[in-house]
Amino acid sequence: MRKCVCSATLTAAMGAMLMVLVGSPSVIANTREMVGMVMLLTGSPNVTANTQQSAPATAEVKIDNFSFGPQTLTVAAGTTVTWTNRDDIPHTVVADDKSFKSKVLDTDEKFSYTFTKAGTYPYFCSIHPKMTGKVVVQ
Amino acid sequence: MSANPFDIRTVILAKHAQHVVLIHFPIALFLAAVAFDYLAQWRRDQTLATAAYFNLLLAAILTVPVVATGLVAWQWALEGQKLKGILLMHLVLGCISSVLIWLVFWIHWRVRRHPDEFLPKYRLPIEALGVLLVGLTGHLGGFLSGVNGPG
Repeated sequence: MRKCVCSATLTAAMGAMLMVLVGSPSVIANTREMVGMVMLLTGSPNVTANTQQSAPATAEVKIDNFSFGPQTLTVAAGTTVTWTNRDDIPHTVVADDKSFKSKVLDTDEKFSYTFTKAGTYPYFCSIHPKMTGKVVVQ
Repeated sequence: MSANPFDIRTVILAKHAQHVVLIHFPIALFLAAVAFDYLAQWRRDQTLATAAYFNLLLAAILTVPVVATGLVAWQWALEGQKLKGILLMHLVLGCISSVLIWLVFWIHWRVRRHPDEFLPKYRLPIEALGVLLVGLTGHLGGFLSGVNGPG
């Protein structure tokens, strides 16, 4: 067991050195995967601890060319959805039932909302009511 | 089932933004008034001057519902939140344009009450500025309304 831990530690150290030397994001990602795989194979208890930490679920909707993309987004309950305005003009995100509403979003501004209950949440842009979208929470 | 566009209830309760519809009237009337006034000045034609006056009168009157519907849209659609960027610029330029239209109309109205007086020439650059600002406000309004969008 000690040998396995040493092996994993050595691999991780080598990976870290490689990341520092190369600095490329793709290489960093690959190295991380490689380190993870080696640690999984060696059965290190640290890996089990890491997999138990669940990152908060997120999803993104882009506002571009007077439309929400994707127009219908399906997410699990507890997911935080972030809308980003990629348009050159202001938009808003307002739920039909007014359960959530953003301020006016200028270019590159974001609005986030966490959906805690299952259901269908249609929304629209109050400046351009023709712009509509839907979030389906399962 | 689609609504009958000629039904009075459809006209009054139309879901499209009334501000966007109404704005075209004062713009067209003011531009026509300025064109008539410049022509009247150039040709020394009283008929053209009269046409300019009545176009200005209607343009000035119609700025009232246009500004009102714009402010109502701001309150209803955006719940009166603090404006910035293009929306703020559109609001400010729209208000200045309306004041200029009323100013030009007032200059004409004052002179018409005294037939022995002539229209001052300084009105012409004011009218030109009004046309410029109305055009700029309309451009921003068109941009905001999404006429360039996918429809």
